Amino acid sequence: MRFFVNARYLIVPVSSLVTITGILLGGIYAWLGVALFGVYTVIDTVTKDIRFRAEKDANGNSYGVKVFQYLVMYIMLPVFILLQLVLAWRLYQYTSGVPIGTANISIFSYQLGISGLHLIGATLSTALWAGLGIIYGHELSHNKKEGFFVSRLIMALSGASHFTYAHVYNHHLDLGHEDDPATAPRGRNVYWHTWLSHVGQSKFSYDLEREKLNNQGKSTLSFKNKWILGYLYSLPSVFLFVWAGGLLGVAALIAVWAISNFLLEALNFMGHYGLIRQEGHPVEHRHSWDNDNVFTSWFFIEIGRQGDHHVRGETYFWELDDVGAPNYGIGYFSLFVLTLVPFLFRKFVKRLLEDWDENHATDEERLVADKFKSIGIES
Amino acid sequence: MFGLFNKTKEHTAYINDESSPVTLKVEKGKTLLNAALSSGLDWPHRCKVGSCGSCKTQLLAGKIKPQIDFSYVLNRNEIADGYVLACQSELCSDVRVKVNLDNIKKRNKL
Repeated sequence: MRFFVNARYLIVPVSSLVTITGILLGGIYAWLGVALFGVYTVIDTVTKDIRFRAEKDANGNSYGVKVFQYLVMYIMLPVFILLQLVLAWRLYQYTSGVPIGTANISIFSYQLGISGLHLIGATLSTALWAGLGIIYGHELSHNKKEGFFVSRLIMALSGASHFTYAHVYNHHLDLGHEDDPATAPRGRNVYWHTWLSHVGQSKFSYDLEREKLNNQGKSTLSFKNKWILGYLYSLPSVFLFVWAGGLLGVAALIAVWAISNFLLEALNFMGHYGLIRQEGHPVEHRHSWDNDNVFTSWFFIEIGRQGDHHVRGETYFWELDDVGAPNYGIGYFSLFVLTLVPFLFRKFVKRLLEDWDENHATDEERLVADKFKSIGIES
Repeated sequence: MFGLFNKTKEHTAYINDESSPVTLKVEKGKTLLNAALSSGLDWPHRCKVGSCGSCKTQLLAGKIKPQIDFSYVLNRNEIADGYVLACQSELCSDVRVKVNLDNIKKRNKL
């Protein structure tokens, strides 16, 4: 049981390595990362009704092995760096005009050079898995020791190092309230939310640093400013892509960052869409949506158990459990596809929000929901 | 130097009243807040991730190991007065701390 409980969270690490291998092999294999995303969407959809509770031994302890899980999360940093390096290598080949042919290393053969079409596949594959890898940046943001720094570096690979501070000091505190940019109010679509949440969290992180440095009598413009430092951590990626592909490299990096941040904000969007919390009142299970079918749970290292996570923020992901929070009833992959079509998503979420208003909300929270309804926003 | 050989697995937190304080055993690697909650103390808290400041306590004696930079939540005066966040403090020695007496109720006998 212990082996199974720990090994099941390796879907993303293994898939990331498969994606890297695909880009290295070149040709049609550069699309492997995109193909995996599609396959996983199907698996997630057909397993939507299978759920597990967090398993415990006879003494009530989790089977999760902390050293192993942290080792995997730390190793994901060089894996994501490698992901960017292989894309940069392919960009370099494309912009240098390396002719397409077959090359061999020992008994292995790979395609030298890359076509424009397959370069798009490599870029999309990199972007999707860089975005999915953000789950490790999230988990490590709750570790207050070296893990916090690793989280900052993982997020910096997507140009979003500000997330680590904003998530802990803003999202976990102001969840479900208008002060939290990461909570999507009713009526907002995922595309608009991505901009508002990203910029809002970055601004929060900047303000947090400014206030802290002012309190310490130090200048905001200094290397003590973690907001500035966070963006500086992203510079190696910028240099790498400019060197590898010039303007095309910049375009590729923008695509990688845009897609990976879109996935990050889509997770925020799905996690709390339309839920309401009265300011100053404690965060409770009802202020988050759970997505905890088997594939989502294992793939996203239990990030879908949002209800438990937000009440016990210090708890390791493998210990999170079903706490009776509102539940979408489908996994993140399936729900993500729905969010891409705002009309369909709002139709899907309408009955869930009605149920939340009726059975979960307090009188004060219901009053806020009624205000949305009074201006025609029902979901 | 001899601290290297100090294998103490737990420290004691003496809470509030100097003559008859509530005592709390805090295992190595555990935060002051988690130890308090595990022992049945109704220590004021809200987020447990170092964001809200509800669990702040004044460190009167002893040493703690902060897990985060407290200056994101506590102001300069509070830090100067020895305030720390219990949810982000591991103990490096026995400590004496003061918390809001109105909010602290002993639920179970320690």
